[in-house]
Amino acid sequence: MATAETVLQIEGLTKIYRSLFTPMGVKAVDGLSLTVRRGETYSIVGPNGSGKTTTLKIVLGLIFPTAGSTTIFGKSIAELSVRERIGFLPEDAYLYDCFSGEELLDFYAGLFGYSKQRRSALVEELLTLVGMQANRKVPFRECSKGMRQRIALAQALVNDPELLILDEPTSGLDPAGRHQMTLLIQELKRRGKTILLCSHFLAEVEEVCDRVGIMYRGKLVAEGNLSELAGEPEEVVITFRGLDRLGPDAIGQLRDRIRAAGVEIASKEALAEGEEGPARPAPSAVALLDSAAGEIRLPRAVEGKLWQVLQAVRDAGGEIVEITRPRPSLQDIFVRAIREEPQ
Amino acid sequence: MSPIILRVILVVSLALIVAAVVLSRKTWLPGIGHGIPSIWRIAKITVAEARRRRVLQAVIALVVLILLSMTFFSSVTPEEQAKMVIDGGLAAIAVSGILLAIFVAAFLIPNEIESRTVYAILSKPVRRFEFVLGKYLGALIVLAAVVAIMTAVLVGVLVALDHLIKDQAGSVFNPNLGSVVFASVMSYFSLAVLTALIVLISTVSSTTMTVISAFIIWGVGSAQSLIYGLAEKQVGATKLLLLVLYYLVPHLENFDYRFQASNFVPINLVAAAGALIIGFGYTVVVLVVASVFFSDRQV
Repeated sequence: MATAETVLQIEGLTKIYRSLFTPMGVKAVDGLSLTVRRGETYSIVGPNGSGKTTTLKIVLGLIFPTAGSTTIFGKSIAELSVRERIGFLPEDAYLYDCFSGEELLDFYAGLFGYSKQRRSALVEELLTLVGMQANRKVPFRECSKGMRQRIALAQALVNDPELLILDEPTSGLDPAGRHQMTLLIQELKRRGKTILLCSHFLAEVEEVCDRVGIMYRGKLVAEGNLSELAGEPEEVVITFRGLDRLGPDAIGQLRDRIRAAGVEIASKEALAEGEEGPARPAPSAVALLDSAAGEIRLPRAVEGKLWQVLQAVRDAGGEIVEITRPRPSLQDIFVRAIREEPQ
Repeated sequence: MSPIILRVILVVSLALIVAAVVLSRKTWLPGIGHGIPSIWRIAKITVAEARRRRVLQAVIALVVLILLSMTFFSSVTPEEQAKMVIDGGLAAIAVSGILLAIFVAAFLIPNEIESRTVYAILSKPVRRFEFVLGKYLGALIVLAAVVAIMTAVLVGVLVALDHLIKDQAGSVFNPNLGSVVFASVMSYFSLAVLTALIVLISTVSSTTMTVISAFIIWGVGSAQSLIYGLAEKQVGATKLLLLVLYYLVPHLENFDYRFQASNFVPINLVAAAGALIIGFGYTVVVLVVASVFFSDRQV
């Protein structure tokens, strides 16, 4: 249900593309519902063809839905007052390529009816924000991918939008460019912008987003903040050191002591080499020893034996460095969500 | 009933139908964006883009070369030379203008969609009809600049020839400048009508289909008397088809004053005004329909 804090509301959105060759149509978006709240950064993630860009295009009124509705600030995108308050960064920075960044920003600012004086001030401010002052006169077609993306982001900001819609903002950028773009998005977030971001670069999403919706085959298959999506940690990781200087038998002794404490354990190296049977992932009740990394991974099912395992490490001559409960990465969550979907 | 009255009735009826469609569409009514400023800015960037692509410069250079080459035919009498330069010059302006109109207008909107530059514009407070009108106005300015430059060169050539030949005893070279400029202006208005129609087609079809259709419309529009004559001799479906073409396709030949200019025939201003009024009404209707179609287009 929409509230005063709701910036974007999508309800039961469906888009079916029909053509001569596909009279039944191809469902690009299938009953999608989601809400983006004021001040948050929401990311739609999903593999190519999952319906992310189609969703954004419907939200922006560039294409029309087969069913369902979208509202921004409680109104239809057809209303111009809504478009006064949003900014859009298209994927791959599609702007007129024979103009410079300065000319392009002046043009897009002009579409908001700003005076020449206001446009000049805005262009300066935006070029500074995206770090393009030095290259302001370079024609867009001669700009590097990173420069283009920064100009495209600047054009999305000409009206100081409350809602910023970014489609694959780091697509095609090198690691340095990706980092710069991520910093820019974080800066915009700090300035209080509501951001809807589409991406398949999960690392960047993890860095900037408050909530994530995972789309797959046009449907939202999981949604929430990262801790909600991650759920309870699956294991405890014990990091130790000092066993390697005690000689090759020390690891074997540690394994025996852990088994004696009533915990089944397999070693990562042995699993990889097939020494203890064919290589296989450790079962959910079996601890995993990685002697090279100095780690023991204790699954949730045997977490009750944590103190016994710690004692076994100490008894074997090891020193405990750290005990952590790592959360799954967005990559893990994403793969799990997709795997759980019926094929 | 005369064909001209029928055409006026047709244009007015179409305008009423289009107005009814427009008023029935709620999405058209709330606000008109920044209206004229948005249209003007889109027009300006269309012109600037055309200028930077340097296609126009190439077309102008080619036509100027053609015009200048006409001055080398000195073996004919001054009257014949004047007639030849005026007729050939105006033909060069008309043909190059039409080719330019077809290629500029056919790519105007499809290019924006294919290169996806339209996304950053339509996500701003710009109504789709403002976008269509802005692109059309931009194309009109480009065509005006090209026709004006080519006309100026033609006038320059005629003045120079007049000056050279006046020195020869008994010469009767008549540059007929008023008629030449008038013919050129009318040629420009025919381009304006044709461009509107091409923009309409481009809102619903691919670039290739638009270009093909534009050439067909140009051909039909320039031979409407012939088509009407053919229609009168036919029966049934063929007659109906020819009449539909006659009444729907603009009569571009009504804007053609090359013959009057090169043969020193007085110009019928009433007929010209009639052609302009019908052309203007036709263009307005076509642009409204184009805007309605583009409003429904998924980009």
